[in-house]
Parts: sequence; C-alpha cells; structure tokens
Amino acid sequence: MSVAADITRAQRQAASFGVSSVLLGLCFAAACAAPFVLNGYGLYVLTLTGVFALVALGLNLLTGYAGQISLCHAAFFGVGAYATAILTQKVGLPYLLSILVGGLLTACIGAVVAVPAMRLKSLYLAIATLGFGVVLQKIIFEWRSLTNGGGGLALSPPAIAGYELGATGLYYLTLALVTLGIWGAWNVSRGRTGRALLIIKESEIAAGALGIPAARYKVIAFAISAFYAAVAGGLFAYLVRYIHPENFSVGLSIAFLSMVVIGGLGTIGGSIVGAAFYVIVPELLRGIKDAPGLVFGLLLVIVMVLMPQGLWGLVRRLGRRA
Amino acid sequence: MARLSVENVSVDFGGIHALRDVSFELESGAIVGLIGPNGAGKSTLLNCVSGITRPTRGQVRLDDAVLSALPPATVAGCGIGRVFQHPELVVDLPVRENLLIACHRSLGYGLVSELLKLPNVWAAERAAARRVDHVLERLGLSDSAELAIRNLPYGHRKLVDLGRALLMEIRFLLLDEPIAGLNDAEVAKLRDLLLRLRQELGLGILVVEHNMPFVSGLCDRLVVLDLGRLIANGPPVDVLRDPKVMASYLGEDA
Repeated sequence: MSVAADITRAQRQAASFGVSSVLLGLCFAAACAAPFVLNGYGLYVLTLTGVFALVALGLNLLTGYAGQISLCHAAFFGVGAYATAILTQKVGLPYLLSILVGGLLTACIGAVVAVPAMRLKSLYLAIATLGFGVVLQKIIFEWRSLTNGGGGLALSPPAIAGYELGATGLYYLTLALVTLGIWGAWNVSRGRTGRALLIIKESEIAAGALGIPAARYKVIAFAISAFYAAVAGGLFAYLVRYIHPENFSVGLSIAFLSMVVIGGLGTIGGSIVGAAFYVIVPELLRGIKDAPGLVFGLLLVIVMVLMPQGLWGLVRRLGRRA
Repeated sequence: MARLSVENVSVDFGGIHALRDVSFELESGAIVGLIGPNGAGKSTLLNCVSGITRPTRGQVRLDDAVLSALPPATVAGCGIGRVFQHPELVVDLPVRENLLIACHRSLGYGLVSELLKLPNVWAAERAAARRVDHVLERLGLSDSAELAIRNLPYGHRKLVDLGRALLMEIRFLLLDEPIAGLNDAEVAKLRDLLLRLRQELGLGILVVEHNMPFVSGLCDRLVVLDLGRLIANGPPVDVLRDPKVMASYLGEDA
C-alpha cells in the first residue's frame, strides 16, 4: 500500500464515518426487530450467535490484540455457565447478579491461567492453556455435590425482577450484553490497555522500555477475556436450559479460536462476523443432503486461503471500494 | 541535576564474563559515547542499565535509588528511556498511535474508567494527543502523523522510536546504534536533534555507536569497553589517542 493510498484512506475513513454509523444503526435496528420476524428456532440460533460473539469479543482482545493463544475459553465459558446456574438455582441470587458474580469469579481464574503465559509463548502457551481447560472441565465433572457431575444441570427459565424471561426476553438480554460488550471492547482496544497489548504482541522488551509491564497486561488480558467468556456462559446456560460438562470441551475452545481468526484478528467487527459465520452458516447448509459438515469445512479452508485478514478484512475492503 | 551511576558492574553468562567490574557515571546534560569492538559488552551494559539484564555483581543507581533490582518497565518509569537498534513499532498503526503507546504511564487512568470511557479518560487522551503533536513537531514528523509505519522510510521509523522515548518524560536516554541505516542528511538531523534535546531538556544521553566521526563529534566523553572491561573513560581526543584503545579497538599495534 502506498503513501497516497494511506492518505486517501484516511480521508475516505472520515467521509465514510457517517455511512458506517448509518449501517451500524440499521444493523442494530434489524437486531431489535428480529424477534418479530423469526420463528422460535431462528431466534435460538440468533441468540446463540450473540452468546458466541461475546466470547469472541473477549478472546479477540487476548489473541488478536495481545497475541496470546488460549485453548481454555470453553472452560471459562463453562465455569461462567455453571457459576451462574448454581448461584441462581442453589444460592438464590438474582439472575443478572449471578452472571456478574460468575464473570468476576471466572476473571480471577483467567488471571491464574495467565501465570504460565508470563513464561510461555505461541504453541507452548496454547498447550498449557489446553491443559488448564481440561483440568477445569474435569473439576466441573468431579465436583458432583455442586455441579451434579455427569448428570448435568437442568435449569428452569430465569427471571428478572419477578418477570420470567422467555426466549424473546433472553434474546434481548443477550443483545443488550453484546452491545455493552462491543462498547467496552471498543473503549479498551482504543485506550491505554489496547495500545499496551498491541506493543506486547510486537515485543515485550520494547513494551518494558516504554514503561509497560508485560506480565501485568497479560494477566489483565486473560482476566477480561475470561470475564467475557463467563458472561456468555451465563447466557448460554439459560438459553439451552441443560448444561453438561461435555458441552465445554476443547473442541469448543478450538471453535472459539476459529471464530476469531475467521472473523479477523484484532478487530471488533471480526468477532461478531466470525461468530455469525460459525453459527449461522452450518444452519444454512442443513438443507444440503448429507454434506453440511463437509461443505462447512471446505468453506473454512476457502475463507482462510482467500481472506488471510478474515471476513472483516473483506468487509473493510469492500467498504473502502464503495 | 541527576546522576546515573554504573558501579562495579559484572555480568556472567554461564562461564562467560560479559562485563567485569565496570564503573562510570552519566550526569544530566552530558552526552557519553559507549564504544568498543563487537562482543565488548556494550549491549549487555545498556541492558543492565535498562533493567533487562541483572548484574551478577555491582549495581546501577539513579541518584540514591538502586535500579538494578527493578523490572524494565519500572526502570523506564524512573525516567530512563531506551531506543533500540531496530525500532520495534506496530507497523499497521499510524505514527500517531505508535507515539500514544508511549504515553501509557502519563495517561494513568484505570481499567474500569477505560471500559466505560468516563470523562477522565477523555481528558487524559486529549492531553496525551497534545503532547504527541508537540513531539511530532519537534521531530519534524507532523506531516506523517497519520501514515502507517509500514509506509515510512527506515530513518523516520527510528525517529518515531526516539519520539516514544521523549514522550515518557525521561531524564536519561540510552541509544543503541542510532545512525545505523540512516543517510548523511538524516545523521546530521539526528545530531542536531540530540544536541537540542540536551540543551532544552537537560537530558543525559548514552550512545552506543560504531561510527567514530559521529561519536567523537557528538560526545563530551567516551567510555571504551574491551572484552567486558572498561579500558578508557575521558574526552574523545584523549581517548582516541590512548594506546590501549588503539590496540584493542582500532586493531593497531600500540
């Protein structure tokens, strides 16, 4: 890309700011109107997309910005789901408070997972977090008195301020939390923390020379990321109303990582688009007889080969050309 | 007037003595050149001062505070800036954003304020943006502020790296081969800039550099290392005539 292209890009970005706000507004309006158009199943799929988007937003801060790979996000998601369910059903806390407490608890666990990240990099870190994920999942499985182990937990519909939350209610709650999540991730990624994470990804020594303690920011990144995953878990538990340790296996962690990479590392839009791709495309492929898995797998390969910057990179390129 | 003191510093890597009992001082407003052949221990010494390497024996002090037990980020926070030989910048980000990274400490707001973008965040970011503008102007990079680093020539990248150090309210600046890869015009500009920084901010500057005309023209004093030992410390004219220096560094028989 040339210097001239850079300048015209800056100018166009300024000019297209209005256009993108309008587009964003339209997307939000469509999301608000969705329950009036979709059937029950469609609404379920859309809520699940929102739940996964929330995980992807947090994971993208960790992987896309700070450059730390995690293969234990399914476990964070699971701890959030179980914590919310147990706090609501057994302790009797209000649903929203349970989600918040579950999120904070999981953020603390995330901070602990960051300890090996201070010494390990790339693949080595991935394997260490994989181990953590397995351990957390196993703890959920074995702690029968609290989690009912392999029997799973069946949940009754949640209530907020005495009103039982149906599918539509849960959808709007998810939409609200995703909106908040986008706003928070936007602020962090464009503030001092986001910049610190970017330079840590580039070089920890350079970060140190700029007065940025890499170890502390890795802990912060893991904690924020775990918080997002856990809040999503709290929504997920009441979306499916039956949770089981097997829901939160390494396979799901890999799926989360795929969402972030397919959507676009280090972008907020990419987290949303990646989650949508991962949830909605297999649903659309259901009509293809016998082969939805095959087609979806091939699509993943094609997206990665043709769009190394992810789907969001493509959206941006199209936006620039328009 | 601050003083950075290297006191009897030795560094052993396994059986290798990278530095042996090195002592010298750097005062505010002084420009000192650190020279010596490859493998003399110059980079190890810079790493000791900036907290990356811990001395096996001896210590580094800033006035009365001992720096050598502190992590690099804390040392940087004490006002010791470090510019590396190869600038480590985020190449996808514009110059301005790269400079904002260095405002990390002065921004100072907490994570919760940041998540919610409270008014104190707005105010701090505006103040940081003004400081960045000021540094851009000082470096002559105002026109490149919005360019991505990847579109910047190498010389400008090195200036951005220097700009980051300046944004940290430093008292001492450690430069590792600042003119490597620069053309003559850029070298002259950098020289003027360093002299101006010394005059306006009272910076103490420690420069590692191989280019003799550059160091002897810029520095008040030269410190010479050879095989981890300090063999000379004095004004350039004296040091460059020192037989020991000529023997070891210039490879001539004394």
